[in-house]
Amino acid sequence: MKRKKKYLWLSVLSVCAALGVWELVTDILQLMPSYMLPSPAAVVEAFIYKLTGGVNPDGATLWQHISTSLKIALGGYTAGVVIGVPLGIAMAWYKKVDLFVKPLFDLLRPVPPLAWIPLLILWFGIGYSAKVAVIFLSAMIACVVNSYAGIKQTRQVHIWVAQTFGASDLEILFRVAIPTAWPMIFTGLKTSLGSAWMALVAAELLASTSGLGYMIQMARQMGRADIIIVGMFVIGVIGSLMSGILDLLGKKFVHRGGSK
Amino acid sequence: MSRIPAKLQRWFRQNRQALLWVVISFSCLLAAWQIASMASGGRLQIPPPLEVFQAFFTAFVKPIGQNTILEHAAISLGRVLSGFAVATVVGVVLGIAMGVSDAVYAIANPIFEFVRPIPPIAWIPLSILWFGLGSANKVFIIFIGSFTYITINSYEGARNVDPQLIGAAQMLGASRLRIFTKIIFPSAVPYIFAGLQIALGVSWAADVAAEIIYSQSGVGWIITMGMNNGNYTQIMVGIIAIGVIGYLLSTVMRAVEGRLCRWNRQAK
Repeated sequence: MKRKKKYLWLSVLSVCAALGVWELVTDILQLMPSYMLPSPAAVVEAFIYKLTGGVNPDGATLWQHISTSLKIALGGYTAGVVIGVPLGIAMAWYKKVDLFVKPLFDLLRPVPPLAWIPLLILWFGIGYSAKVAVIFLSAMIACVVNSYAGIKQTRQVHIWVAQTFGASDLEILFRVAIPTAWPMIFTGLKTSLGSAWMALVAAELLASTSGLGYMIQMARQMGRADIIIVGMFVIGVIGSLMSGILDLLGKKFVHRGGSK
Repeated sequence: MSRIPAKLQRWFRQNRQALLWVVISFSCLLAAWQIASMASGGRLQIPPPLEVFQAFFTAFVKPIGQNTILEHAAISLGRVLSGFAVATVVGVVLGIAMGVSDAVYAIANPIFEFVRPIPPIAWIPLSILWFGLGSANKVFIIFIGSFTYITINSYEGARNVDPQLIGAAQMLGASRLRIFTKIIFPSAVPYIFAGLQIALGVSWAADVAAEIIYSQSGVGWIITMGMNNGNYTQIMVGIIAIGVIGYLLSTVMRAVEGRLCRWNRQAK
């Protein structure tokens, strides 16, 4: 999204204006009570307080919440990738697997993974396992869909060439189909990271005793909008950091094996 | 057999293998479900499939809470569609304006990029503080969730216009407005629809999440109530309802897209 630098001053102005309006309706005109929308200064203050080890009002520091959330999210995400990508590849490559799994998968897909949270909480309690399971489910679906589509993109001509040169079925899969699918698989990894992070927040809002979702849920119950905004900000920043790291990895690895 | 139209017969013949496998995999699922439900106990309860389907169809006449399942569905759909409609209008206008004008882009993009990475679910607590516990907070969440996708896609659509087309139109003396209505907007439409398709899915997920976390009606409420009462069957009924609606929403959206973007598919 690189555009002309000519209007940089407009961007700066727009951010300043947004902050100005925010300040105006809160501190200066007091149109919004602080439990609904605190002033920018109050949010920054709350952020610094939580960042430097403040434990009120939810009983843990920001770093503790972040580490709980990251542990659960990355655990579920890894499981989803490790199972989802091979499953998607197998579905696309082996007709029998496709015919058997596709109907079940199509049955599962229209249900947003978040809808399983209550059932999983009843089954596994409000500890780690229910949340990891929800994140696993959300991550797996995007991985399967994209790996499947990626493998299906393999050009028939390429397969024929490989066959003519005497490649076995597995060789064709690993040397032709999977390299073709790499960029799509990577898109899947990125999409599923986003849904995994969203599922984590939902699961923590509903039932947990620590984590970023829990932090903003507690803040709501106590009418601490400043903490909520800090939490939302941190959730957004961590989300884009993770997808940025994935992008970097993608640039490094996908380039070599990619189709272009 | 002559009563079955020839078209349908041909379809059956062509898809016989696939249909057979659908039957096989669904039977395996039902069998596994039945066995699991008999083996389950204690906290890890799984209600048997027959009981769940029975409860699902009973819910059409016998209300769960205050509403039948159709009324819950209508409530949820109403929330999704109102949030989605507002998001479509705002997103398409903002996205295209950002694509066409450098000034609008410079103004809107920094704020947009700041809001975009926050998952819609994370807005729920703030939305409850702002809009109370009723429908309004769900509509807001749905709006936030779908708005970002629609804006990005409309923006991409307006940016990816074939410059040769614009050049040709300029050479033939078309006004800027005419270029916009005849070239830029039409070529953005397929992108916009791709965005709408994703956004509708996200809207549905966001509504379900908002209803699960706090609500007094809607299909998400059915699930939460089931959880609070330890009623596993009711949870499964809610999940089925959510799946059916999710499926219908994406099917309808695809059909609309197929209709309106038919020219695009022919060109490919």
